[in-house]
Amino acid sequence: MVEQPVTAQVILEHGVPVSIVAAHVDSQGGEILAEVPSTHVEKVIDAFRKKGVTVTVPKLIEVDSERCIDCGACFSLCPVSAVAFREDFSVVFDEQKCIGSPCGLCVDACPARAIRLVEQHSSGLIK
Amino acid sequence: MKKLVESSGVEVAYKEVDVVTTGTFGAMCSSGAIINLGHADPPIKIQRAWINDVEVCHPGAAVDLYIGATIMSETRPFEYGGGHVIEDLISGKEVEVRATASGTDCYPRTKLRTTITKDDLNQFYLLNFRNCYQRYVCATNSRDEIIYTYMGKLLPRFRNASFSGSGALNPLMNDPDYETIGIGARIFLGGGQGYVIGEGTQHDPGNRFGTLMVRGDCKKMSSEFIRGAAFTKYGTSIYIGIGIPIPILNEGLAKKTAILDEEIVTDIVDYGIPRRGRPKLGKVSYKELKSGAITINDKTVRVSPLSSLKTAKRIAEILKSWIENSSFYLSAPAESLPTDTICKPMKQTEEIAFVNSVTHAAVTCTEDEEIKAVAERIINHSVNHVVVTDEQGKLRGIVTSWDITKAVAKGKRRLADIIIRKVVTTKPDESLEAASRKMAQHQISALPVIDQARKVLGIVTSEDIAKLLGR
Repeated sequence: MVEQPVTAQVILEHGVPVSIVAAHVDSQGGEILAEVPSTHVEKVIDAFRKKGVTVTVPKLIEVDSERCIDCGACFSLCPVSAVAFREDFSVVFDEQKCIGSPCGLCVDACPARAIRLVEQHSSGLIK
Repeated sequence: MKKLVESSGVEVAYKEVDVVTTGTFGAMCSSGAIINLGHADPPIKIQRAWINDVEVCHPGAAVDLYIGATIMSETRPFEYGGGHVIEDLISGKEVEVRATASGTDCYPRTKLRTTITKDDLNQFYLLNFRNCYQRYVCATNSRDEIIYTYMGKLLPRFRNASFSGSGALNPLMNDPDYETIGIGARIFLGGGQGYVIGEGTQHDPGNRFGTLMVRGDCKKMSSEFIRGAAFTKYGTSIYIGIGIPIPILNEGLAKKTAILDEEIVTDIVDYGIPRRGRPKLGKVSYKELKSGAITINDKTVRVSPLSSLKTAKRIAEILKSWIENSSFYLSAPAESLPTDTICKPMKQTEEIAFVNSVTHAAVTCTEDEEIKAVAERIINHSVNHVVVTDEQGKLRGIVTSWDITKAVAKGKRRLADIIIRKVVTTKPDESLEAASRKMAQHQISALPVIDQARKVLGIVTSEDIAKLLGR
């Protein structure tokens, strides 16, 4: 439960324009759908989380695990380290770190064509 | 095995261990499948044939075809190729076969179209003429643009690197004198059992770049271990899963199979230079490569494998379980792989011209000069391009006669406002063909020639190249 004007605080503290696309507030709590410039997504998500807000980010990237052959070609291309290896060298994507279409460096490097960027209309669902 | 030798020594390992299994799953371009369709009625002697729009080779008799992994689909080039056809067939999918022929007295038919699955084929054998490289290089890129190569996508100015091979798990690395791997050695191939039928092309044992030629029944394989691959702007290929058991016949083999990733060293090669002899930037071990980061020119660079290390391990483990439950028997080779083969470069009978043979002095200026002075220089020297440099002669930009004309038309007064900063350049050892291609790609008519430090050595223009071709 959050009682502070968190949205306003985030906007003021970080100077980022947050566009509220939809909002629903009742006695149980509130839920807003917010649009944030892609250059500030990580910062804003982090700021909201620090204030106790649950933030869910829609999938920006989709990896077809059946097509993926765990070759690791994508690993060295990711500028935000969203691709990692498990101990058994299987490849795992951190979908929260991935910044999606502003980047997309990994997509055409995958020889199994297992990576797809997901079409985005809004950048963050903030609960 | 590596751990056992490390903890208890070679003698104990030799006594306790009977077989060491190895594995690799990487892109192996020199691969393909030989198929026999069975005869048609009326019969056809195929001249040209396509499977799912991928042209297949007809090198033999009427209905024998060879599906080459790197041949690309005519309708979906770079996305679908021979490797994908083979994977589709192995998966049980239906494929479309088209063929044309000029017809003979005994084979009157000139056209054929049919749909088949692997069960409709007589023979469907993997016949790969270069697989399982003993080790491979680490690739990186010095150029200013992304390059797409068979070593994957390489970012500009050494921002990433790639490597291939399973390192200490590689079959040939564990038996480097080829004592147990030879013609007739039974192996894990694509999920089924196959055989080594000899050394592969470009076999280079002296430099520990040995290769294998293999054969196996595709009808018994699995698409988990045979996968078509699409390398953007490079071509198609196929990922092949191979595993070879090494019987520990003597203490020497116990020692050899204890080889570790840190002992397998390879070169970091600059794929940005499109020549046969690419610059080597240092050495690196497979341990460093598998760690995900290496050092190039004192900087940390992230490195991707291109082989699946997970699947390589899985193959070695599957092979081990097959041997343990008696569904796989090792076979002694009929003949060992040669250890003295030399790999030669191509003999070339035509000379290739390089940029340094047509480079001439560039007309230059500095950024603080007047537009008028630059325009005068263009007229006095009868050129179209003036290279902008700093006091040390390093490249800062370029100004063309078109830029001067544009300045006059738009009333611009400062040279700094019209200089083109993003300059496409060339190096003295680049081929004229590559330089020409660059000019066409960027729709420009000259390339400043620079060295590694971006010092301007001269200029080459499209006119120079045209004159050379005219000769």
